Amino acid sequence: MQQSSLFATLRILCKNDIQFIVVGGLAAVLNGAPIQTYDIDLVYSRDQANLDRLLNFLQEIDAIFRLQPEMRLRPAASHLAGAGHLNLLTRYGPVDLLGAIGDNLGYSDLLPRSDEMEIGEGIRVRVLKLETLISIKEQLASDKDLAALPILRQTLRLAMTKPD
Amino acid sequence: MGVSETVNETAQDVAPLPDYSEDGVDLTLIRWTLSLTPEERLRFLEERINEILAIRELNATK
Repeated sequence: MQQSSLFATLRILCKNDIQFIVVGGLAAVLNGAPIQTYDIDLVYSRDQANLDRLLNFLQEIDAIFRLQPEMRLRPAASHLAGAGHLNLLTRYGPVDLLGAIGDNLGYSDLLPRSDEMEIGEGIRVRVLKLETLISIKEQLASDKDLAALPILRQTLRLAMTKPD
Repeated sequence: MGVSETVNETAQDVAPLPDYSEDGVDLTLIRWTLSLTPEERLRFLEERINEILAIRELNATK
């Protein structure tokens, strides 16, 4: 049976010491937004050493491009070096690797706009702040992004008033 | 402070929170997800995805 394992994917990324930030729908969920998403969107550091580790990780989880899965095309180092988006299918479900998002914001730009979160078994991942996610979706302004905005805005509003 | 003032303040304190925002967002659901830890949010999402995939697969073979 087809199975998704968001946790296993994040655990292997951390185990391999890969520098990444969770963005997109999963970042919204981890920030407390009640939305449904099926893939993991990650912005990754494009430092050479990180690209090497990322490529090994992609081999480990049998990553292929989602566009024509029957061709089983595997991502290469050259695909990872750019700021583009790679939509992949892996043994643990869909993973989207993003060199940059929004107004060409890469890993180092997003680092100060992310929080570290514990996701279990002592694993900590960096997750894009809800404020930045909202601002990027406002810029992109696609139908899909606009549709998610009311929930994200209300989540941010309630999170800011939540006593901790 | 008189008794009536105390009663009014108490009534305001326990006034129910709105269920929905003006733009129709279910605030009760957001309050619930905010009450979970990030780990619990991740596990819940993962369980839901796998339940949905299982149902889809079951129906695809019929």
